[in-house]
Amino acid sequence: MAQQETAERQPQGGKTLIVLAGLLIALLLSTALLSGSRGADLLTETTLLYATLLFYVGAAALYLGFGLRATEAYLRWASIATWLGLAANTAALAHHWYQAGHPPLTNLYETLLSFVWALAVLTVVAQGRYGVRVIGMITMPLAIAGVVLVEQLRTAVHPLSPLLQSNWLQVHVTLAILAYAACAVSFALAVMFLIQDRVETRTFLAICSAASLAIYASVVAACVRIWGGLAGAGWAEIAIWHGLRLKAPLVLLSWAMLAALAVVATPVACCALDFRKPGKRLMQIAKRCLLASILLQGLSLAVLLRLKGPSAAAASGRLPTPLGSNPFVVTGLVSALLISMFFLVLAWRRADLERLLPPVELLDRITYRAICLAFPLLTLTIATGAYWANQAWGSYWNWDPKETWAAITWLVYALYLHMRITVGWRGRRAAYFAVAGFAVVIFTFFGVTYLLRGMHAFV
Amino acid sequence: MGTYAFVRKIWRIAASIETGVVLLMLVVILAALGTIVLQRPATRPDEMQRSYSPFLLRILDATSLTDVYHSWWFLGLLLLVSLCIVAASLDRLPNRWRYFSLPCKFPEEGFRRTLQPQRTLDLDPEAGLNEAAAIAAAELALAARGYRSQRVVHGGQTGLFAERNRFSQLAVYVVHLSLLLIFLGAIVDGLLGWRARLTLHPGQIASAVQLGNGALRPLGFTLRFDGAGQEHYPDGTLKQVWTSVTIIEDGSPPRPTRILINAPLAYRQVRIYQSHTGGSGEELEVAHQPGSWIVWCGVVVMGIGLIFVFYLVHVRLWVVPVRSAKTGKLSVWLGGSVNRHRDGFEPRFNDLARSIEEELKRTVAAQGNGVSSPGIGQAE
Repeated sequence: MAQQETAERQPQGGKTLIVLAGLLIALLLSTALLSGSRGADLLTETTLLYATLLFYVGAAALYLGFGLRATEAYLRWASIATWLGLAANTAALAHHWYQAGHPPLTNLYETLLSFVWALAVLTVVAQGRYGVRVIGMITMPLAIAGVVLVEQLRTAVHPLSPLLQSNWLQVHVTLAILAYAACAVSFALAVMFLIQDRVETRTFLAICSAASLAIYASVVAACVRIWGGLAGAGWAEIAIWHGLRLKAPLVLLSWAMLAALAVVATPVACCALDFRKPGKRLMQIAKRCLLASILLQGLSLAVLLRLKGPSAAAASGRLPTPLGSNPFVVTGLVSALLISMFFLVLAWRRADLERLLPPVELLDRITYRAICLAFPLLTLTIATGAYWANQAWGSYWNWDPKETWAAITWLVYALYLHMRITVGWRGRRAAYFAVAGFAVVIFTFFGVTYLLRGMHAFV
Repeated sequence: MGTYAFVRKIWRIAASIETGVVLLMLVVILAALGTIVLQRPATRPDEMQRSYSPFLLRILDATSLTDVYHSWWFLGLLLLVSLCIVAASLDRLPNRWRYFSLPCKFPEEGFRRTLQPQRTLDLDPEAGLNEAAAIAAAELALAARGYRSQRVVHGGQTGLFAERNRFSQLAVYVVHLSLLLIFLGAIVDGLLGWRARLTLHPGQIASAVQLGNGALRPLGFTLRFDGAGQEHYPDGTLKQVWTSVTIIEDGSPPRPTRILINAPLAYRQVRIYQSHTGGSGEELEVAHQPGSWIVWCGVVVMGIGLIFVFYLVHVRLWVVPVRSAKTGKLSVWLGGSVNRHRDGFEPRFNDLARSIEEELKRTVAAQGNGVSSPGIGQAE
């Protein structure tokens, strides 16, 4: 996150951000490599994952930096950072593949790493082939959230259980990853379309802050529950710097999180009021609250990461990673933060974005194209999954939550296609539909794993 | 309202896209509900009682919300969806079929006026270009792009017609049909299929299995249980579970086989699976799914149909030499039409127009009558 903070503090200076981001990446990378070299291996998976994260963060920071400075050079460097991140990502995947002895497709860690890789590849393709140069503004934050989750889901390499020893597994998961990556790209393109189609910034504010609020509310609920509610006893330690530790009662943390939640909720409330009775002042307040909420979200993320206490669930079998706590909680907080920051770019540099984006017609068409790619892939994912289930469980359809949600995703995109082809939906409505479709994809990919249980427990 | 009018109204409702959308949204909502409310029999009764209050559980049970996917209303909804797919497809099919079976091979004037994209290339009569030369040039340009064009004579005029992937017009019906096939297979399995557990001890034989409700089902052959075992990785985790059985049938020698996880034994009408629970290797699961081949047929048809829907575009091209009624000037009209992805087609259409122009230039050059003008210009 360091680069992004730098990006916010450096509104002046032409090439400063590029140099700073580059230097920071180099510095952090060399520290990681040096600390790694005390062991035998220099290019370990940990280092490679770290490098992947750093480059993707660098790319996202440069996209955001572009949002602040409107310097086109940032975009070129952002694209270079994306390529470097892709290279590190590829190396991490290859390393894991080599170590595990099977393609990296068998658990959430492996599939997510492959998904992030596919997303980066499609980003590069969309930038190179279709000229959507700022698509990384959406896909890179997504990739960051993915790598953050990957970092925490990392487990020791286990040999494959009998159920997973099937060639159908590889076919099924590869198709699923490609399908989900195509859905992610269609989402990014739909957002680009909405920007270029002059959807009011107010609407974006409402959507972004509502999305952050939804994520943040569920995370806060989980944290408060883990810490024993609003009257729980006990102390937590927050490691600030090497030996320096801060002791805080858990109750206080719970209440602090609730207060942060209130701030995150304010822009949503302001937007709701504003839709009923438009006024300039309300929007001003909403924007200020969003700024404040970004700082608070960053703070609570930092606290959560440095927290040593009952919540740092030292889950058995998990390797010690720099990011503690529940993987989905941390990822949720990172995503909420990135969504809020995306809005800032929009609020400050909308005109420059519009200048760089392809025309609306093209964006509309390639969103549709991405879904035309995703839909057959989704179909094949379900079909191969059913065939494998029939081999392994003796039934091609079990109404398992993952299966059901895969079918729901398929139905949602089938609806999109019918609305587009038969009813003739184009433009804005189709774009909103594509955004909603990706929300369903995200739920199928992570929500089902995190919230619902079933036979599909390995992913 | 007469019966005919009533039936017609029902038909219109069933075939409308609005009905389809509403029904699909209902399916989405109810299916999602089934993943949130705990379902029987996957959840054990005691866990159900722990999770819900007795009153709530009674309501959930009474409304079948604890077994959404087998409830009459969910199955009824799926049936309604199928009926709507049939109605919507039949409603739109005649129109599509006309496209398919009676392709418009010669563009009438009204059609020529509205079609997009189109292009008109002027022919210079002094350069020796006439209708026949124009048609020949267009034929060459089309052939270079892999189109087999046909000459169409209509009302004394000769035109060219070329098309590709005409089947694409019907592809969406193939996808709809495949969905119905999958539903049909699932219905056949639901009505005629069964599943049973088979627990055997070494040396024991079985020629029938008992279902959960106590009914007996013959296997159609005799199965002898020979032994079971497990394999482990060096670190102690489970690698594979296997069961050895022998198939015994009158009139053929006994056949020993092995059943593994992910490698079931398919014999006659049943498939026998290694059970995942317990892992003792003694328990097998037997499934009879008479409708599964219909489902797999449906899946294959859907795959093919979707490839046709998304990646095969019905391209139609027309070339007609036109003589202006007012000036008597001769020109070549070129028009094209695609059923989807029109944006990708337009550049290719422009390319084709350009290469027809080039062919015409070449014709002029070959005639070698020394006219310096290129012979053609561009109008529109």
